[in-house]
Amino acid sequence: MSEPRRITSEDLALFAMQLLPAEEMAEVAAYVEQSEDARRELAEIQGDLAMYAHTVEMQSPSAQARERLMKQIGREKKAIPIDRPVEDVAARSTNDEFGHAPGSLYAIEEEPKRGFAGKVLPWVGWAVAAGLAVTAGDLYKERETLRSAVTEQSSRIDHLTADQAAARQVLDAMTDSSALRVTLNVKGAPPAVPQGRATYVASKGTLIFTATNLEPLQPSKTYELWLIPAGAGQNPIPAGTFRPDARGNAHVIMPPLPKGVEAKAFGVTVEDEGGAATPTLPIILVGAAAGE
Amino acid sequence: MYRETGLVNSPPPSGQDDAVLLGLVQRGDEYAMAALFDRYSKVVYSVALRVLRDPSAAEDVLQEIFMQIWRNPDGFVATRGSLGGWLAVVSRNRSIDALRRKRPMESVDDMALASNYNLANEAERNSLMEKARGVINLLPIEQRKTLEMAFFDGLTHSEIAEMTGDPLGTVKTRIRSALTSLRKAFPA
Repeated sequence: MSEPRRITSEDLALFAMQLLPAEEMAEVAAYVEQSEDARRELAEIQGDLAMYAHTVEMQSPSAQARERLMKQIGREKKAIPIDRPVEDVAARSTNDEFGHAPGSLYAIEEEPKRGFAGKVLPWVGWAVAAGLAVTAGDLYKERETLRSAVTEQSSRIDHLTADQAAARQVLDAMTDSSALRVTLNVKGAPPAVPQGRATYVASKGTLIFTATNLEPLQPSKTYELWLIPAGAGQNPIPAGTFRPDARGNAHVIMPPLPKGVEAKAFGVTVEDEGGAATPTLPIILVGAAAGE
Repeated sequence: MYRETGLVNSPPPSGQDDAVLLGLVQRGDEYAMAALFDRYSKVVYSVALRVLRDPSAAEDVLQEIFMQIWRNPDGFVATRGSLGGWLAVVSRNRSIDALRRKRPMESVDDMALASNYNLANEAERNSLMEKARGVINLLPIEQRKTLEMAFFDGLTHSEIAEMTGDPLGTVKTRIRSALTSLRKAFPA
């Protein structure tokens, strides 16, 4: 039988950031539930993380964000309790013309005396009518708001669907092995050599790589693309393996890469099937990023 | 002063206590909600924007979090610690969830948060931000980078280890050490 794992403060930090696998999250949650010390330490870690979150560069949201929130809370109005404290009433009103404090017993006794039915009945009909009018008005307003929200959402969905279809078409054209691929050169240029072209957006971690005229490989080998980060001492990051088709064409579309890594260069090596964690020399293709 | 007695739906004075504002929100006070938004929207949005790198997605997280306060102000109780701190952490967690396209993990949002600072006060908040930035800038680069990858990029320790080539234990220790340095700079 295996011993239960010892939960360390390192584990609690990862738990607080939701970075543990699901079963370890559950294990740590159960431990925290039963240990007062762990709860205290976790609260400290959450405090540390809150402080760390405040180191971020401050940016203001758009004015529309505030407007959108206020509209939304206006739509989700709450019923305000009517049992407001007496002090509130006192604070809101001024003394009456006789100098009596509002809410005082004396002030109440000054009211003209009428029977309950005499006071209430004349207003019941009006109150019901007014209530119905307000409700109908609110319902109409709500319906109009919902209708305009649905129209707006529907138009957004149409745009997104069209964008997605266009993006899918571009991707299909790039990855279709039957697509015609032509490399244009000046007339009389020497025979085409293996060539790769990488398009990379560092801030989004998006990479598109296409290659032409690649040599075929043995079945146990594969080409591997590498992102070589800018800055000294950083290891190349594997950016996907690929094999060329019968015409020597290949591509790597949006491999999983961290965001925000500036590239100094890209390279291609030949590795064993499955790829490698570090590149094996020689580098078959290499290209430095512009400005490097 | 009069606001402390619970008058609803009139503009609150600036500098009103978070707990009082939450009490007013509980009673449906839209002005109190606006005051909380004005106080904390910047930090909530900035954290979400840092994680998601997309202004529109960050504003969605901002909206979702403040609507959560409006719908359930009891969800945050003063004993949990500072509202500003809690909002910053929840903004990070919700943004990471959005990044991973998964449902929010309430169990972590529900945790208490130890804080001895009044983030409701803008001057104090700004001074703490500056101090925290100073501490982070003095950390060894590996610690700083590792904490950034974990907190703001939501990378697991295994993913960080894989990317940096460092052993798993080293990654965990770096995260912990960075947080410890931050804590030491803000003694209780």
